[in-house]
This record gives sequence, C-alpha cells and structure tokens, in this order.
Amino acid sequence: MDAINITAELTGNLAVIGYGLAAVGPGIGVGLVVSKTIESIARQPELAAKLQVTMWLGIAFTEALALIGLATPFIFA
Amino acid sequence: MQFDNPQTVLAKVLKLGSLLIGSIAIIGSAIGFLAAGLPGLLGAVAGSGIALLFVTLTALSVLFGSKLSLGGFYAVVLGGWLLKMILFMFGVALLSRIEGLNGVALFVTLVASILGSLAVDGYVVTTSKIPVVSQ
Repeated sequence: MDAINITAELTGNLAVIGYGLAAVGPGIGVGLVVSKTIESIARQPELAAKLQVTMWLGIAFTEALALIGLATPFIFA
Repeated sequence: MQFDNPQTVLAKVLKLGSLLIGSIAIIGSAIGFLAAGLPGLLGAVAGSGIALLFVTLTALSVLFGSKLSLGGFYAVVLGGWLLKMILFMFGVALLSRIEGLNGVALFVTLVASILGSLAVDGYVVTTSKIPVVSQ
C-alpha cells in the first residue's frame, strides 16, 4: 500500500518521462552504431571512408526516432 | 569507372535533402493554411525549418569530421549529436509555448521531412559507388 500512496502523491509533468525515454533509446542505438564502426575501423582501417558513410546512415535512422519522440508535445500537449 | 568519395555523397545528400524538405515546406504550408489558416502555415514552416536544421547538421558534422583524425571525427560527430539533441529539446519547449502556431501542422511536417530525408539518405548511399579502399 505504501508504494501506491507514494506513487499517487507524485506531482509534476508526465511529459518529462517521455523526454527521457525519447533520449534513452536512440542514445543506446547511436552508441551501438558508433562502437561497431570503431571496431570495424580497428580491424580494417582502409575501409574507414566507407564505414563512416554507413555509420552516418545508421545514426540518421536512429536519431529520427529521437526527433519524432521529442516533438510529440506538439500533438499530445 | 567513376567512384564517389564520401564528401561528394554527403554533399549530394545535403542538396537533395534540402530540396525535398523545401518542397515539403511549400506543400505543407499550403495544406496547413487551407486547414487551419495562418497558424497552420506558420506551424508547417516551423516544422520543416527545424527538420532541415537538425537533419542537415548530422550530415554536415560527418562531412567536416571526415577531414579530421579518427578521434576528431568522433568528437565532432558525437559532440554535434549531443548538442543537437539538447538544442532540439529547448527548441521544442520554446516553440510549444508560442501562441499562433498549429502544433499538429508542425508535427506532421516535421515527421514528413524527417522520413523524406531518410528516404533520400538511403537512396543516395545505396546508389553511390564508394571504393572499398580509400584513395
């Protein structure tokens, strides 16, 4: 019961949790994309140019989620 | 055989992406104006404007970063990404407080611009010929 009472007394803007979630997912995604690119460049440095362009494509797709997630206050506010 | 280098690929992405977002801005503001009047038009222009700014910043950071060493590249790309997300959060917080902007028009043009630019990115990267070995 205590946990329910404590949760019920919480005040504040719920959208902040949305901001956090919109940042966490793409943060993990971009971290994975970059770490794998660094690993690949360490294995084959001569592929760096090709890998950097592919990495940018990966980041572009991942950050689309972040941008859409962070813009939701415009429709859900 | 003619090969592309990463710089020309990113420059092509920037050019095509800006053209696409510009046309989404024109179509979106026309639809926004018809549906919601002046707030709809302003919302559509603001949505495609911030999409253009934040989508092209990633490509620009890779373009400038690729001229640096590997450490400098990651510093520019990841530092730029972090800065961009923080600026985007503040930008959204500021824009959502402005009266006279239609939020739905803004959101729809923003999402359309982001998805459209992803399609352009995918098209340009898959059709470009980047050599396996750096020149």
